Amino acid sequence: MKPLPYTDPAHQAAHQFLVEEAALLDAADYAGWLDLLCEDIRYLMPVRVTTARGAGFDALADMGHFDEDMYALRKRVQRLATDHAWTEDPPSRTRHFVSNVRTFRNGGVELRVESALLLFRSRGDTREADLVSAGRTDVLRETAAGLRLARREILVDEAVLRTQNLAVFL
Amino acid sequence: MNFAGLQLESVLADVRRGMIPAHVYGDPEIFALERDRLFARSWVFLAHESEIPEPGDYVVRRVLADSFIVARDESGAVRAMFNMCLHRGMQVCRAEMGNASHFRCPYHAWTYRNDGRLTGLPFHDEAYGGEDGFPRKDQALLPAPAMDIHNGLIFISLDPDAPPLPDYLGDFAFYLDFYTRQSPAGVELRGPQRWRIKANWKIGAENFAGDSYHTPHTHASVVDIGLFREPKASKRKEGALYVAGPGAGTTYKLPPGGDFAGQLRYVGYPDAMIPAMGAAWSAQQRALIADSGFMVSAATLFPNLSLVHNWPQIDDSGTVVPFISLRQWQPVSQRETEVLSWFAVDAAAPEEFKRNSYKAYLMCFGSSGMFEQDDVENWVSITDMAAGSMARRLNLNSRMGLTSAGQPIKPPLDAFAGPGVAYQGFGEFNQRHWLRQWSDHLEREK
Repeated sequence: MKPLPYTDPAHQAAHQFLVEEAALLDAADYAGWLDLLCEDIRYLMPVRVTTARGAGFDALADMGHFDEDMYALRKRVQRLATDHAWTEDPPSRTRHFVSNVRTFRNGGVELRVESALLLFRSRGDTREADLVSAGRTDVLRETAAGLRLARREILVDEAVLRTQNLAVFL
Repeated sequence: MNFAGLQLESVLADVRRGMIPAHVYGDPEIFALERDRLFARSWVFLAHESEIPEPGDYVVRRVLADSFIVARDESGAVRAMFNMCLHRGMQVCRAEMGNASHFRCPYHAWTYRNDGRLTGLPFHDEAYGGEDGFPRKDQALLPAPAMDIHNGLIFISLDPDAPPLPDYLGDFAFYLDFYTRQSPAGVELRGPQRWRIKANWKIGAENFAGDSYHTPHTHASVVDIGLFREPKASKRKEGALYVAGPGAGTTYKLPPGGDFAGQLRYVGYPDAMIPAMGAAWSAQQRALIADSGFMVSAATLFPNLSLVHNWPQIDDSGTVVPFISLRQWQPVSQRETEVLSWFAVDAAAPEEFKRNSYKAYLMCFGSSGMFEQDDVENWVSITDMAAGSMARRLNLNSRMGLTSAGQPIKPPLDAFAGPGVAYQGFGEFNQRHWLRQWSDHLEREK
């Protein structure tokens, strides 16, 4: 299947969705971010592994860094809003760089959207900053309120993450 | 004894009286001693048999800088082989997992069977004059000097004279069963998630061994958001801490009055699993739950394998589901650790339980876990602070639970069915136990 042309309004809407979402995450507006998710969201980040070229897989099918439904994501957001989420207090400075956006018509009210993500994360004043590079495959659903994220699969580009934890969303 | 400026005897004396010189968490000389005197001798966990169920399956794991292929050979036997070609030293297998009948070195194509035996040597006659110049027969990748398996857990030691593994595990084997033998089928491991943290490896190992004191504050947020049925983290002080063989761990106090099945139901085990748990465990193991009323939680097997068992609510209707995780603190340097975190579940558990338990694990522990997030922030910060000059003037007080004369502030727990010594309430008995073993290794030159 070919991606929609750059001038397609559906592609432009999808691209804008991802950029606006990144702005919410960088502003740590997690309540606002939750509003962009469908109630039946699946938010998935498989563990990436180093395998031989012919192995036929380079991610684990049964183990992720994330495999979340709305309950789990809400709990994570609620936690970050408490006074006791030390890992993000003081908060990280993050920048979600989104690029290489390709939009595909899934048929019906959903779009499949692929994007590249580079997360820059800086903590404190003595530590080196972290980078997390990943490809994302999203399903965006057209709803009465506009596009909403129904599924995200994050394919991280490292087998061993170089960030101290995933107290951030990708 | 002087080790290039390090006053080792005085450091170890301080550690043994529970006053830890802070620099041990960031000192390159200490790290060199740990490599040469601890990791070169101790039994170290590498993998679980469930990760390599079929002939040819392999994973590649390290003990510090030493890479090992852990493979199941064609006869079904588990092998741990040093991953370095006998010829020019290339890393023979550069993938971290897969299935292979042979491993071929990319450099000159020396080829090894999955039991380690050298089977392929290009131009053997032309290059070496055949068997005379290089006897190929009986050549194999170097096996781990010692290897043994307990409950499917594959351990190796770099010391060929290491004590037998069962002798080493001793009384801790009693507690390992709660995590790794919930039925005759044993556990299956998934993962590991792997990530690097800028923290000294000892901090996590000590924390899991017995730091129930950090739970009410470090983990206040997960209680705030109602992730647990019990509304107060201070409940942690009712738990017992035990020390047994080379391990130590924490427990939670269960509600009074429950029988064996009732207590397992309370932490979320379904009825379908309970009879097998009862059959897999001894009367004494069942009594720890049913009579003493304690359920295992975090633990550490010296030096760097930790285990955790907890039971959060996994949905809005308050369904409580337990999970198990194994994790390894793999030292990279005095300032950096690779964490390997596996999800573990009884292989015979119903699929629905496995699904729910996996969800419980991901929410609580591992690279994204809501407990682990805050732990790591603390440990990175400790490691940062331990690297400077002032840390050489500070001894960290690790004497919790002791009087000034070194006596326990309360007697050991009588009503504790498990082996070893247990105390109820907060204390740093377990961390001191871990550090005593560490000290014993560091002072042994040979």
